[in-house]
Amino acid sequence: MIPAAWICLLSPLAATLLITLGWNRLSRRGAGYLATLSVAVSFVAAIVAFAALLGDSPNERYHPSTLWSWLTAGQLDFGLRIVVDPLSVFMMLVVSGVGMLIVLYSIGYMDGDDEERRYFAYMALFVFSMLLLVQAGNLLILLVGWGLVGLSSYLLIGFWHDRPSAVAAAKKAFVINAIGDATFALALFLLIQRTGSLNFEVVFTQSIHGSWAINLIALGLLGGAVAKSAQLPLHTWLPDAMEGPTPVSALIHAATMVTAGVYLIVRTGSLFEQAPKVLELAAGLGAITIVMAGLIALVQVDIKRVIAYSTMSQIGYMFLAAGLGAYPNAMFHLMTHAFFKALLFMAAGLVIHALAGEQDMRKMGGLNRLLPFTYVCFAIGALSLAGIPPFAGFFSKDSILAAALDGGWYGELLWVAGMVGTFLTGLYAFRMLFIVFWGEPSGFVREHLMPGSHAHAREGPLSMTSTVGTLAVLTVIGGFLQFANVWTPLTTWLDPVARPLVEASGTQEAVSSILAVALGAAGIGIAWWIYGSRKAAAPRIAWAQNLLEHKFYFDEAYDFAFYRPAVFLATGLSRWIERPLVFGSVRELVQGVGLLGRDTSRLQTGLVRTYVLLIAASIAVLTVVFVAVR
Amino acid sequence: MKGPDVVWYLCVAGFLFSTGALGVLIRRSPLIVLLSLEIMLNGANLALIAFSRHFAQGDGQIFALTVMAVAASEVVVGLGLIVAIARQKLDLDVDKLSTLRG
Repeated sequence: MIPAAWICLLSPLAATLLITLGWNRLSRRGAGYLATLSVAVSFVAAIVAFAALLGDSPNERYHPSTLWSWLTAGQLDFGLRIVVDPLSVFMMLVVSGVGMLIVLYSIGYMDGDDEERRYFAYMALFVFSMLLLVQAGNLLILLVGWGLVGLSSYLLIGFWHDRPSAVAAAKKAFVINAIGDATFALALFLLIQRTGSLNFEVVFTQSIHGSWAINLIALGLLGGAVAKSAQLPLHTWLPDAMEGPTPVSALIHAATMVTAGVYLIVRTGSLFEQAPKVLELAAGLGAITIVMAGLIALVQVDIKRVIAYSTMSQIGYMFLAAGLGAYPNAMFHLMTHAFFKALLFMAAGLVIHALAGEQDMRKMGGLNRLLPFTYVCFAIGALSLAGIPPFAGFFSKDSILAAALDGGWYGELLWVAGMVGTFLTGLYAFRMLFIVFWGEPSGFVREHLMPGSHAHAREGPLSMTSTVGTLAVLTVIGGFLQFANVWTPLTTWLDPVARPLVEASGTQEAVSSILAVALGAAGIGIAWWIYGSRKAAAPRIAWAQNLLEHKFYFDEAYDFAFYRPAVFLATGLSRWIERPLVFGSVRELVQGVGLLGRDTSRLQTGLVRTYVLLIAASIAVLTVVFVAVR
Repeated sequence: MKGPDVVWYLCVAGFLFSTGALGVLIRRSPLIVLLSLEIMLNGANLALIAFSRHFAQGDGQIFALTVMAVAASEVVVGLGLIVAIARQKLDLDVDKLSTLRG
């Protein structure tokens, strides 16, 4: 048992409770500092846990610890149990580290909002839930964390609850995630039936009898992962989730929560490996999502939505890697993606902050001279996203593509999709960069950023710029954690928990890297040609434009397939069943009781004499009956 | 055993009970109603004691004593109520005390 792990887990929960109970006694600033401090404590505790694991020999790095028996039913016993092993410590470091920076950034971003305290309480609750998810020692606790991150995501998307669009987005996210939660829970039921436990060491070491059972279990888990990570076909909630405050998008809908699906596949890898078809399905869904999200991102005009689609696309890479069994590569990309995507979101947050909440890229332009620091940070993030060396995205994305080459013909197919994705990534990332930062400042921009004011004041307070700067540095150096075939500490570290199934050779690495960089650069070049230099206009193909602007008609299809029939059924039931039968019968009942009461009250004359007579008469009748029956 | 047969006692008890019941039913003064109630209770008591004697068991006598205690308490409350009604200068007529009509 490692006490630091419990401190890491419970510190944000304590902050949530303190902020909630303190309410008005706590200053708004105080709530922000308290939340930041609690996540910082978590980060330090995660480092301590990491150091404790480093002291063990690689095969002994597994420390379960149960606080108490949480749920007992018959033979089953689920403890409030956490596990500290290389995978969970890795996730703890990423979640608390990036979380700390983003909560600190929020202090500046949310300054002046009416309900800052509620915001920080939710943020700390989210960090707690996410840590519970990654530290869980059995699948039930994992499911609890899974549900709690869904809840905090719902609360934070709908944080500005006076905007109808935010409320609708929160509802959508919750409902779609609930589908995933349901399939996840069903998989757990089947798993309990087959193995009699949900503890990791029991579940992952038994082989499950019956191919349909293991396939169903893996499918259920995949359903949960797909919904949480916004992969096809349950991806429609993520772009709408951008209604939340920008730091929320950075923390929950880019860096941590949406990658939980990848974590789940890696964690339950030994179950998925018994159902190879489902694993291939996961990789295939990832590949389709890469291309589709990349295409949709090309036509979006909301700066946050472009980044949201790029998040879907990048998580597609992680799914691709996890589905091929390249677990360390998936986790590596998860980490670098957390850095550069949080960086992109928060740099976009600086722009939005400077422009008083405007998110429409068409109104922006020429910001590179007005917000030079933001421009540099955003450019680093975009270069990393496009996979240009030496930024972090290059190392992690290319290792995934190389691993795909090692996965047989199916892997090669996925590799092609990944390569197309790389090209699209360069294109949409730099389309966004050029539109927002290049060219002449637009009238809207000049209105908000008067040339007389200081650049520092414009770019936001220190709490925001310092965290964005830190993430920019991490994005520059983060990729050197692992260099394929030469320097692989992450693969070695994760080896006891998630041993990769594929291993790319040096040639495959070289071929993938060169091609990916070339394609990424080509994407950037075309973006420059069209949006940077403006030498060519973007081609207009009406049907393609339509298709992409409607996001491949997924929302419309779901609306038609599920929403409309449900509403139709509900109105029908209301008109034909509820109103006549349920409401009608209740009304009849009420009237009947009233009538009965009025009639009965006539018996009550108020005359003692009648009462006595009634009593006497009843006794007489009773006596007669009694005698007669005998 | 000395004295008349149990039947005679029951006859007297029945007579007393009927007298009381008639009084409760037809008299209008609450005072008389209360008095008639006491007569009914005494009729019942007489029957209890007669049976107790007939079967040579003490239970009936004990029960009769309990009934007397309850009757005494009831009279205290009843007379108290009657005095309260009189103080309010209301008619001492049970037929006019009908505010509990439904």
